[in-house]
Amino acid sequence: MIRAFWSGMRIHWIMFSRNPFDLSGVLLWPILYASIAYYLLDAKNDPELLLSASLGAAVMLMWSLVVIGSAGALEQQRWLGTLELLVAAPVPFATVIAPISVASGAVGAYALLATLVWGTLLFDVPLAIEQPLAFAVAVPACVLAIGMLGLVMAATFVLYRAAFSLGIAMQYPVWIATGLLVPLSVLPDFIGPVSWFLAPSWGFRAIQESALGLTPWPDIGMCLVLSAAYFAIGSLCLRWFVQVARARATLKLT
Amino acid sequence: MAPAIEIENLVRTYRSRKGLIRRRTTTVEALKGISLAVEPGELFGLLGPNGAGKTTTIKILTTLLLPTSGSARVLGFDPATQPGEIRQRIGHVFGGDRGLYDRLSALDNLRYFADLYRVPVREKRRRIGELLELVKLDGRERERVETYSRGMRQRLHIARGLLHEPEILFLDEPTIGLDPVGARELRETIGRLREGGTTVLLTTHYMYEADELCQRIAVIANGLIVAEGTPADLKSRVSDRTVIEIETFGVDDERVDRLRALPGVASVATESRDQALVLHVQSPTGTDLVPQLLRELDGTMLGKVVSREPTLEDAYVELVREA
Repeated sequence: MIRAFWSGMRIHWIMFSRNPFDLSGVLLWPILYASIAYYLLDAKNDPELLLSASLGAAVMLMWSLVVIGSAGALEQQRWLGTLELLVAAPVPFATVIAPISVASGAVGAYALLATLVWGTLLFDVPLAIEQPLAFAVAVPACVLAIGMLGLVMAATFVLYRAAFSLGIAMQYPVWIATGLLVPLSVLPDFIGPVSWFLAPSWGFRAIQESALGLTPWPDIGMCLVLSAAYFAIGSLCLRWFVQVARARATLKLT
Repeated sequence: MAPAIEIENLVRTYRSRKGLIRRRTTTVEALKGISLAVEPGELFGLLGPNGAGKTTTIKILTTLLLPTSGSARVLGFDPATQPGEIRQRIGHVFGGDRGLYDRLSALDNLRYFADLYRVPVREKRRRIGELLELVKLDGRERERVETYSRGMRQRLHIARGLLHEPEILFLDEPTIGLDPVGARELRETIGRLREGGTTVLLTTHYMYEADELCQRIAVIANGLIVAEGTPADLKSRVSDRTVIEIETFGVDDERVDRLRALPGVASVATESRDQALVLHVQSPTGTDLVPQLLRELDGTMLGKVVSREPTLEDAYVELVREA
């Protein structure tokens, strides 16, 4: 299973690296998101707020890459006619799909760093990481947690043929509900508890608190707990949805 | 010895819904209760026209579809409830261009599927090397699949399906769309599998392919099995007949119907060949129908007129027509 997982990540990265459209997006989006962080909050005079805004924008980008990357990859599998072959493989289907989400999350980790670097180069965002060790742990923990949330989403993409459109639509609710786009304090109260169940909230806080020298470890722990929970939920959903797809004959695009 | 594949009264219905407000449900019965058995080591052919139910049967057996009713056993396991037991023991190859990662090399494709099929790390390299040699892709394995011809892709599909040394290989129209040379090479590869003792279930609508490769054949039409036996058995169904082939240009359906109604004519099948419509007229051996047929076709431009022995294709056309 571990071999199938690594092999899946490798294949996803190779496919991704050979798609000029995806590659150009990953190069351009960090600049775009760094600009959003700078202009949206207009925080030129508050270095700490500016860094937080940049980190928030970077995590937004990471989520987008995971959800769009997973949805796009699954839709591509349908078009290539490989989805049926993956379902028919003897390894558990979750170990075939999870690498796609985690590999997309790893691309998101690069995008996170690129967003911060562009913010520093273009807008003088202070790139001072107070706790480098915690930051080095927080980023992969965030990647894992967001990747596993992507796995839960991917389960629905197996069932529905319009995976890519669904993936795009799923970006915004999570941006809002996790407080990445606007602070949770300006949103209705019920959004707060919703954000507790979403990995980007904890991932963002883990990265932010390690950068600002606060207490990131509980947030990192929550990322790991949520990752395990997402994997369990995602695996169950995948098993169920594959069974539904076998009954409805929706694995093929034709 | 227990059959490698056993199917009993298998039924599969597809339902599709249309319309947003007034939802209309359409139901199509793809399989209407088929039964068959394939022995271990046998190369069994499932023949039938498009939409007959061949692919549906294979998808149920390869665990990709659930049957609506009836039962199936693959190596003693139920594909509906024991998919995990079956998947490691079978390989399946679908015809056509799809089913491969185009931007990856053949080697990367095979490595990935070897990991998905739990081929031990120590054996992986040897097995991939052997298979590349078997399908004659050795030396081209590092090239991207998108640069491959259709025949090369199809051979790569076969290699992928054989990575984990399956006990049964399902081949769903593997030569579809291949040029004659590519198709012949693929048939040679399938022939070698049969010699190696692999059980193969092959679907095709090319009669010469089934005749050349299969030990037994089942003809499926409209979701039902209409005949089963060796190619010789099926041919013998029309062995008491003679086939007259008439190349015609511009003949209409009404005139073909008139030919069908002639005394002594058992059946008339039509085949488009370039601009000509070739009529295959079957009649009992010993009856000379040519003068009568030519009289009926008077005024129609005709090409060659040939009388010949019936082939498996004639038997197949007759079976499908009767269904």
